[in-house]
Amino acid sequence: MTTSTAPTTDTPTSLDAITEDVVLDRSTAAGEPSWMTDRRLAAFKTWLDQDWPNRRADEYWRNTPFDRLVDVTLPLVEPVDAECVELAEGVVDTLESPAATVTVVDGAVLSIRVDEDWADRGLVVESLRDAAAGPCAGVVSEHLGSLTTTGTGSGRDEDRTISTNDALWDAGVFVHVPAELEVTAPIGIQTYATRPGVHLPRVLAVAEHHARVTLVLEHLGGDLPDAPRASRNKTPVLVDEVVEVIARDSSFVDVISVNEHGDDVAFLSLQKAGAHRDATVRHYSATLGGATVRLRPEVDLLGPGASAFPSGIYFADEGQHFDVQPYMRHIAPRATSDVLYKGALQGKSRAVFRGNVYVAREAVGTTTNENNRNLILTKGARADSTPFLEIECADITAGHGSATGQIDARHLFYLQARGLRREQALRLIVLGFFNEVLEQITLPSIGERTLAAIEREIDLADLDQVNVSAGRVDTPRD
Amino acid sequence: MAELSIRDLTVRVDGTDILKGVTLDLEKGKTLALMGPNGSGKSTLAYAIAGHPAYEVTGGEILFKGEDITEWTPDERNRAGVFLAMQYPVEVPGVSLTNFLRTAVNARLEEDKPVREFMGELRTAMSDLDVDESFLQRSVNEGFSGGEKKRFEILQMALLRPEVAVLDETDSGLDVDALRIVSEGIDRLRGPDLGVLVITHYTRILRYLTPDEVHVMLGGRIVASGGPELADELEEHGYEHYAVSA
Ligand SMILES: Nc1ncnc2c1ncn2[C@@H]1O[C@H](COP(=O)(O)OP(=O)(O)O)[C@@H](O)[C@H]1O
Ligand SMILES: [Mg+2]
Repeated sequence: MTTSTAPTTDTPTSLDAITEDVVLDRSTAAGEPSWMTDRRLAAFKTWLDQDWPNRRADEYWRNTPFDRLVDVTLPLVEPVDAECVELAEGVVDTLESPAATVTVVDGAVLSIRVDEDWADRGLVVESLRDAAAGPCAGVVSEHLGSLTTTGTGSGRDEDRTISTNDALWDAGVFVHVPAELEVTAPIGIQTYATRPGVHLPRVLAVAEHHARVTLVLEHLGGDLPDAPRASRNKTPVLVDEVVEVIARDSSFVDVISVNEHGDDVAFLSLQKAGAHRDATVRHYSATLGGATVRLRPEVDLLGPGASAFPSGIYFADEGQHFDVQPYMRHIAPRATSDVLYKGALQGKSRAVFRGNVYVAREAVGTTTNENNRNLILTKGARADSTPFLEIECADITAGHGSATGQIDARHLFYLQARGLRREQALRLIVLGFFNEVLEQITLPSIGERTLAAIEREIDLADLDQVNVSAGRVDTPRD
Repeated sequence: MAELSIRDLTVRVDGTDILKGVTLDLEKGKTLALMGPNGSGKSTLAYAIAGHPAYEVTGGEILFKGEDITEWTPDERNRAGVFLAMQYPVEVPGVSLTNFLRTAVNARLEEDKPVREFMGELRTAMSDLDVDESFLQRSVNEGFSGGEKKRFEILQMALLRPEVAVLDETDSGLDVDALRIVSEGIDRLRGPDLGVLVITHYTRILRYLTPDEVHVMLGGRIVASGGPELADELEEHGYEHYAVSA
């Protein structure tokens, strides 16, 4: 292949057949600095040595058959003329006076709006490529990939879906919050998939010491008309995302991730934060859309006293396969993590929860807690839940719990006995089930959006078919 | 005809026949006491009246205003005016108490009561029962003490205005003050339009709610019936006396 000036080719290469030339061409065509190109090429070397995930070879993929669900022969998506696309309204559009909003469509950053006041106070939100060529180049270079495969940071991720993004990320967004700036308004990043192919969005957010920021990452799109599929399970859209968040000392970072893709999207996302001394990272995810979702909310607790609070909900219906794998790595002493995920399932659907907590030998005084609850509403749905603890240090407090069940007959009877119709009662019970997570959401618009989505899922359910546990015993036996 | 009329009712739970032919009539404006030792079937009768799906009516009938309600769902019974205050009220995690009450009241009325009016009635009922404001922020029975749960049952009764109320050991787990407050709360609701069936082990609640009749249950049957004096007798002599006939 010769050096071209645009990343477009007549016959787009399938992801599986990408060559070093493609990586190089895309980078140079975009005018990226050479260090960035080198980093992509290094990631691509790793990529060449790797295999696609395999449920037998990789325990983290045990319950998600990559080869059956993800189409690696899809071409990289080509950016489209932005004028031609109609974008659905998302929750980011409803945020009250956001500090910044970014719209990404089909592998390109379409627009970035930053509130002037916040910009004057030092908030930077720009495309990753612009950032790499501007005053923030040093920060970008220091942190980009530091939590994944290419950097020098805490993380080396062995997964090929990550090196794919490292080598080939398309639309990159960079957020920088200078020291001591508390950005009290949220920053919204909307990523749309309106065309078939492989979408490789990337986010790098750096909160310097004592900074504060709330990121709302919203994924929309899919539901493409007549897009060809390789097989029934494989989707014409693959979104393979990497989000890196650097939370420097005593910073407070809130990440909110809402996925409402259509059911022709496979969404793989690593959303990883490095939390330094006394930093707090909160992460909330609502996984509602997509045919296949594999979400990895991860926090490396790198500094003493750091805290991580990942929480989320998911609601899977007919044909959806959700795999949620939070990973907390306690590297430094006296750090805290508290993980809480709740999911409901209906129809022929599948949820996999694998929660991982690693506590290093040095991480004395760690406090960690991990919980997952699944509610199986109708026959045919299945949830596999396994909290894993890998502990090298004795001096810690650790708790974990996991439960999968049905609607409790006692709850249903109690509400019905007070006049509520069966469907009213079921609705309240399901919403009540999620409440523990929902009440932690700090942005009202996100809470409302999640509630509305849960309500829509309940509307989909055939409430006559809802399984109720045989909770016949109402009275403690004396 | 009595408001609630139970005719020769037999009930099976988990394959075991628990009620073996119970007949009981509750008139409007009357208060009946049902007493009996643990395990005699009192709660089983209460659940059967409320329509708990695990309590299978195998014979006889439950007539409410002359209609057989044995096939009715629990919510249909409640909306019609049959209320059960449970011996062990259920915690329903995450379900907002205020939201639940409002839904229940609207369901019973079959119309939407304006929020303001509802909140007014709720506040009155709360202060009548000496229930703290913070209740409004809680989830249904979640983390409530035994006493709080019992109060909440009566609070619901006050809001739902039933025509027949079955109170299953509402007095158990209440200290002296709470018993007085709850009993007085029930007493206020009594009147010509309400029939009450008080299920209890002891006479202490009956000192506030003097019954018109007392019935004794043993082994799934009513083994004795009488006036209020029967309750005192039972408290003094216990149930051994009836064991033979059970
Ligand atoms: N849900 C149940 N499962 C199994 N046995 C039950 C259940 N409810 C009641 N029983 C049995 O039925 C009998 C009557 O119980 P119950 O009605 O609770 O009595 P009481 O309220 O008078 O104490 C007891 O022998 C009890 O063990
Ligand atoms: Mg009982």
